[in-house]
Amino acid sequence: MSRASANDTRAYLFLLPWFAGFFCLTTGPTLASLFLSFTSFDLIQAPRWIGAANYVRIATNDVSFIASLKVTFFFVAFAVPLKLGFALAVAMALNKGIRGLPLYRAIFYLPSLLGASVAIAVLWRKLFSGDGLVNKVLALVGIHGPSWISDPDYSIYTLVVLSVWQFGSPMIIFLAGLRQIPHDVYEAASLEGASKRRQFFKITLPLLTPVIFFNAIVQTIDAFKAFTPAFIISEGTGGPVRSTLFYTLYLYQEAFAYFRMGYAAALAWVLVLIIAFFTAVSFITARYWVHYDD
Amino acid sequence: MTTAFIDRRTLLKTGASALALTASGVPAAVAQEKRLRMYWWGSRERAERTFKVNDLYSARNPGVKIDGETLSWGDYWPRLATQAAGRNAPDIIQMDYRYIFEYARRGALLALDEFMPAVLNIADFGKDAIDSGRVDGKVYGVSLGLNSTAILYNKTAFEAAGVNPPTHETTWAQFAEICAELTKATKKEGFWGSQDGGGVEPGLEIWMRQRGKALYTPEGKLGFDAKDIAEWYGYWDDMRKRKACVPPDVQALDRGSNDSAMLSLGKAATAFEHSNLLVGYQTLNPQKLSMTMYPTGGPGAKPGQYLKPSQMWSVYARTKFNEEAARIVNFFVEDQEAAKVLTVERGVPASAAMRKFITPDLNELDQQSIRYISLVSDRVGPLPAPPPNGAGEIQRTLRRINEEVGFARTTVNAAGKQFIEEAQSILARG
Repeated sequence: MSRASANDTRAYLFLLPWFAGFFCLTTGPTLASLFLSFTSFDLIQAPRWIGAANYVRIATNDVSFIASLKVTFFFVAFAVPLKLGFALAVAMALNKGIRGLPLYRAIFYLPSLLGASVAIAVLWRKLFSGDGLVNKVLALVGIHGPSWISDPDYSIYTLVVLSVWQFGSPMIIFLAGLRQIPHDVYEAASLEGASKRRQFFKITLPLLTPVIFFNAIVQTIDAFKAFTPAFIISEGTGGPVRSTLFYTLYLYQEAFAYFRMGYAAALAWVLVLIIAFFTAVSFITARYWVHYDD
Repeated sequence: MTTAFIDRRTLLKTGASALALTASGVPAAVAQEKRLRMYWWGSRERAERTFKVNDLYSARNPGVKIDGETLSWGDYWPRLATQAAGRNAPDIIQMDYRYIFEYARRGALLALDEFMPAVLNIADFGKDAIDSGRVDGKVYGVSLGLNSTAILYNKTAFEAAGVNPPTHETTWAQFAEICAELTKATKKEGFWGSQDGGGVEPGLEIWMRQRGKALYTPEGKLGFDAKDIAEWYGYWDDMRKRKACVPPDVQALDRGSNDSAMLSLGKAATAFEHSNLLVGYQTLNPQKLSMTMYPTGGPGAKPGQYLKPSQMWSVYARTKFNEEAARIVNFFVEDQEAAKVLTVERGVPASAAMRKFITPDLNELDQQSIRYISLVSDRVGPLPAPPPNGAGEIQRTLRRINEEVGFARTTVNAAGKQFIEEAQSILARG
């Protein structure tokens, strides 16, 4: 055996645990879910092959699917830009060379660590309920707030705010990106008399576009997959009315409340296609607005 | 998606521990010990009592161990379905009337007839109570207690306001009157007479039965039409307008658990519930609770309520310990010591002998449960047809459309039509 192939074997051996995990825990279930999406499966009786019937129903005859898409798109369209904007603003504030930066960075990152947890979603419920803290504060200035989480006109916004509040990880990435921008560019611009505003739009933003692009893609995918907050805040119902029926929540209901595993699997694959579509569009348009150094 | 992973993980964990057990080579001595798994939903109070009875059983039957697992109602069914799919369901399963037909007909439960009466001797249940656990002629469930629907009310609040609480003779119209009066008489802001019951399925069922209709026909079709359901939504719309019940954005805080019910949150004085829950609700409420029947349909109306098993023990079809499981079930429903521990927390015992044995030692609250069941017994109709597949989804639809009316997204009549359309499409899908 040549030295190179012996090395290969050894490398594969070391990779074996990862491969085992990848094939058994990721690829296997993924393929199984693809198969199940063409069946009717109630968890107890064996899956029954029904061809594309699940997909046909999704495409032609499912009001809840449409409702959940609307809620999800609304959420993505609001939460992602707001979150990125907020993250960038905080990152720029922190990039001014203030003292105790690591401390502030940690504090601002904290919500992201806590954000996806059940405890925070429960806390959110309390804060934004009719007699919650938010309304008590509003009452001090004479505003009588509605019950934010249980009024269908407002409930989705509380979830948007919860999502924006977890701006930590894009902020850290923005911060790293900002520090990559050479100082002398700004100095030169200042000497030429460019205003701060002009510097931001002509230097910071263009040089930051690769980072913005990365953050936008990751956050969009995350937003499409959002589940826990809506699940906790509406106790799995997507209510009131259908105001917080996220796509993933609808999928979960079909699977675990109504035991239609085949249909839920088909919904999951449609979500994969939707996310793939948006990611592809982002990559195609990227060449027109993302500037790489070279 | 996160939850799908969690479930997969739980599944894997169970699988892994089973694997580890096989791999370690179970020694012969341990193999002789019988270990059964028991699974139920319910409160902490219920868990403590159940564990105590299991210990009693093990003490009397050395070599038999019962491992208990308990979850809340909402988490209970997905997990049971997942375990049944993995052919790894618990040996003894707490079953509900809503699900027993589905599980039994799909071959997940064991018919218990072969153990009767030698091991499982429940002759003193009486025919009705035994039959409530029958599916297609065979016994798949053993009643753990009788209950019926009941209005639980905050007695203290009614007394403080000087309003007479509803009784078993109160009509729906009078109930609205009483609740509106209570809202007005109570000085506290943010407190109403009733919860918004428009989304409460048992309420709708009783309303329909009083009119000679049913939720579902024996063939599994809807037992009422758009006009009927529009009247129901209309009743609650009127309740909201009169401030007799809570507004919709307050009702939306109810997450379907006892502790988030309007009664427990201190938002309303009455709750549309089941009689065995009086015990559980009282532990959540500092004020004194009492209960009575749902409103009546007035003179000439048919009885709306019925007695049903609050829950049943079923045995998993693939259990390795058929007979032992049946013996444990028997212990829960026919043993005096066990009955003393369980009392009426799961409902009033179906066994006449057990009921008679425990009654003298019961506290006031438990006595009330027993009195309630005997009051109701003379005023009930027959057990309804079992709910068809899709009934769970229709239940959620009932609540959602009630919310749409409440938040003025639709009118009462449009809501009636919409409900029928959606429910029929769900039933057609199965």
